[in-house]
Amino acid sequence: MPSSSGTFYVDSTGHLTTRALAHVDDALEEAHFKISQPDSLPASTPPAVFGAGGPMLKRFDQSTATSRIGSQAGTPPRSVVGIGGKVAKPDYSEAKIVLAMVDSPMHIFGYHTSTTLPPTRFSMSDNCAAREPKRKAQLSGMREDHTASYFSHSNAEANKLRDQLASDSLEMLIKWLREGGNVGIHDATNSTQSRRKFISDRVAKEKGIVAIFLESYCDDPAVIAANVALKVQSGDPDYAHMSPEVAKEDFLRRIKQYEAVYETITEPNLSYLRITNVGAQVTLCRIKGYLQSRIAFYLMNLHLKPRSIFFSRHGESQFNVEGKIGGDALLSERGLQYAKALPKLIKDNIGDAPLTVWTSTLQRTGQTAQDLPYPKLTWKSLDELDAGVCDGMTYEEIEQAYPEDFASRDEDKFNYRYRGGESYRDVVVRLEPVIMELERQENILIIGHQAILRCLYAYFHNLPHEELPYIKIPLHTVIKLTPKAYGCDEERYALPIKAVDTHRPKPGTTPQLQVPHAQIARQYFAEEK
Amino acid sequence: MVAPLYTTASGLLFHAGKILIVTVGLPARGKTHISRALERYLRWTGVKTTVISLGDYRRKVIGGAQKLPPDYFHHGHDKSPDTVALRQKISEDCEQQIVDFFTMGGQVVIYDANNGTKERRHQVADKFDKLGVHVVFLETFCDNDDIIMTNIRSVKISSPDYRGWDPEKAVVDYLSRIETHKKHYETIDEEEKDWPFIRILNVGEKIMVNKIQGFLQSRVVFFLMNIHNRFRTIYFARSGQSLIEHSYKADSDLSPAGWEYSERLKDFVLDRRAKSLQQRGIESKDRKLVIWTSARRRSHHSAWPFHHMQSEPSPDGPQVKIIERPQMAEINPGVWDGLTPDLVRKYYPDEWERFVRDPYAYRAPRAESYHDLCVRLEPTLIELEREQEDLLIIGHASVIRCILAYLIGLPASEIPAIEVARGDLVEVVPTSYGVQSQAFHFWDGPGRSDENGGGKDEHNFYENYAEDTRGKKSNTA
Repeated sequence: MPSSSGTFYVDSTGHLTTRALAHVDDALEEAHFKISQPDSLPASTPPAVFGAGGPMLKRFDQSTATSRIGSQAGTPPRSVVGIGGKVAKPDYSEAKIVLAMVDSPMHIFGYHTSTTLPPTRFSMSDNCAAREPKRKAQLSGMREDHTASYFSHSNAEANKLRDQLASDSLEMLIKWLREGGNVGIHDATNSTQSRRKFISDRVAKEKGIVAIFLESYCDDPAVIAANVALKVQSGDPDYAHMSPEVAKEDFLRRIKQYEAVYETITEPNLSYLRITNVGAQVTLCRIKGYLQSRIAFYLMNLHLKPRSIFFSRHGESQFNVEGKIGGDALLSERGLQYAKALPKLIKDNIGDAPLTVWTSTLQRTGQTAQDLPYPKLTWKSLDELDAGVCDGMTYEEIEQAYPEDFASRDEDKFNYRYRGGESYRDVVVRLEPVIMELERQENILIIGHQAILRCLYAYFHNLPHEELPYIKIPLHTVIKLTPKAYGCDEERYALPIKAVDTHRPKPGTTPQLQVPHAQIARQYFAEEK
Repeated sequence: MVAPLYTTASGLLFHAGKILIVTVGLPARGKTHISRALERYLRWTGVKTTVISLGDYRRKVIGGAQKLPPDYFHHGHDKSPDTVALRQKISEDCEQQIVDFFTMGGQVVIYDANNGTKERRHQVADKFDKLGVHVVFLETFCDNDDIIMTNIRSVKISSPDYRGWDPEKAVVDYLSRIETHKKHYETIDEEEKDWPFIRILNVGEKIMVNKIQGFLQSRVVFFLMNIHNRFRTIYFARSGQSLIEHSYKADSDLSPAGWEYSERLKDFVLDRRAKSLQQRGIESKDRKLVIWTSARRRSHHSAWPFHHMQSEPSPDGPQVKIIERPQMAEINPGVWDGLTPDLVRKYYPDEWERFVRDPYAYRAPRAESYHDLCVRLEPTLIELEREQEDLLIIGHASVIRCILAYLIGLPASEIPAIEVARGDLVEVVPTSYGVQSQAFHFWDGPGRSDENGGGKDEHNFYENYAEDTRGKKSNTA
């Protein structure tokens, strides 16, 4: 094996010699046959040639740094060394969209707003929506009455106030988009043609920003009744202090007042999405662009049927016990106990309701699901984040082999991509189709992995990217999420079977001790306590 | 997520049922374009799909426009009894073909015909509804004459109906055919809202969707939301040679030959593209070139020579935009990463057997199968359909195989065998009735897969094991 000093490989013009490549080949040969198999491995397992733990990767990086001389580009790309690095944002950043809500007489009063938020933040854009006409009112101390009379169109004072708020919030949105936001949701009463013209004219003045209107229209009495019930019961802060009967009456009165002045969207020159009777009929007009079409598709797949989504990590695996990441190990003794206990827990919770179990293709999830008496589907997309060259190592080993790289992962864990593997952002992209399908389905139990469930959990709770890689998803715990109009209710059921803790808090921060409580995704202009 | 996930032994999606999509629209509204595109997409996703085209069948039975009775396209009662009987016979035959396809285990039929009157389409819909088939109307309508004329000139008068006609005469004849249809045409309206329907105005400018439910149906809508018919060209090239060809994990950089390759690729693509655009009277600088790479270094760095065109655009060259797509990484070889076939045979004898038997569906331990890869690439295909500009995909052999199979319409089992040689540029032009593709050879240096006398790439066997190097038919079909 030749030494890895650079000069040996470079000819007088600074080019890599073919001999150099031959040496790389030699090194590879040697890797196949000479790297002795560690004693701990059974003889039937071949060596991991390019694992970050072995000597190959480092030696290789050193010997090939000069190969880049072949590039004639003025600014050659960063050279390849180590176990990975922070990667750039994907290319959706150019899109700047004002998504203007058109509250129809029976728009579900915010339902679409709160459900539109997660996918946009989750998978495409870094930030989302400043959409706070109500909050603005709160800031300026104007809000008193938020019940039906506030929404009355005959109330001149209220009208003026509302116009002012809508226009102020639009300015805020535009400012925010200019500063780097991607999708801003303008959640105001854009239910007249003149108001929509005002918005589209204003947005047209901004280069690179487009406006899309989103109308949810309903004239089916059954749907109206169901939505009124949902609205009144699902904890809308507007009605927190009212009895259901009074709330219902007030709500219906609001609808009447809207109906009097409401103009449904028909303007052929506008870019809009109109949904009638919760998806029975959908019209898309001038919807172009990646984000726009994703938003449209997403909204078409939503449904309002009550259902629950259960998350569980696989039972404790042998790799968990050893502190290793990745791999395809089987369950530990305690993990098997969890798999045995899981069916009863689910049954107690869901009774005889139908349920489908989704697992990844890795053995530990299949094993965890083996006793569950429900239909099962295996998704390749649910496989754990691929740690590339670090697969099968412990964090300590990685830290030892590549201390600097390891530290840089903690700087921006979301965008850090393991060499030959994935970043959290990559996983989010890969999960997008899973989420689309999840939105269409009813009761689902996902037996997944830590990183995967963090991404899904962040989606349902609308958590920002920076927090996502640090969400606590303990072993041997079932998380039940119930989507509601204003976010997700959450319950956690921990089984009393001990397991190792695989959570690594961000260094230099106080560990996150609390499990996030069920929260509402929408900030309301409710009385502050 | 797309269909292959649910593929079952019978080839049917277990919860999707049978679907009949009935196209509705005047002639030259793009029905055939949409039907064929949809068929290609659904087939690629593993759904047994076919287009039954009334026009094609009529041509087969009677012949082109000159052989038709003069009153063939008249409506109402001004047709001779013979013509009425003839038309009746043709539509009955088509409906029988639909029934047969469903009986033989097909899942989706697209009935490509005008179906311009309510009476006519409801007759078809009622008949199949009674047979338990889920019927969806798909109306394409157009209020922009330019789109119609472009369609007539580029597609219709070159159709078999007008073989040997003077183009101007053919246009006149075709327009008169549209006029007679127009008199009796009834657009889908509120009265029909009990049927599921999709209406598309001006090739996607506006889309209306009514009562569309179900997994496949919603995939169909999403697909239709994204297609267009603007002329564009798609180019494919493999990434340059990398330092460690046979390791996925090492994610190694380009070798010196790889860097050279990438420079050559750039020159060749720009040159080739300028030539083909010129043939259509378009200046290459007037059209943008979008480049997709994966996030793997060998792919992304192969696009590096284009970078300065993006950062410092010159007024004489085309505008270039490079997009990195992490979903486009090559097939993941799992635990077989870095191993030679001999090592795999030694350590994984049983798995090797199964792999060799079915290189499409077999998934090595912790690896992806070609099937997994197709599923992963599905969102990318939608993006591919949506892209209106010329596209250069600098990718990996496995990824290019899957996408080519989609564009050309090859069955899934043949995907691993598609030959994608490093050093070839594949040019694909989508047209109404399918795609035209051509391969151009531009590089013979180190890293071309058949450098050792036409053999397969031993170094990267999981990806390339089944590649057919005997002929080039596969990517120039």
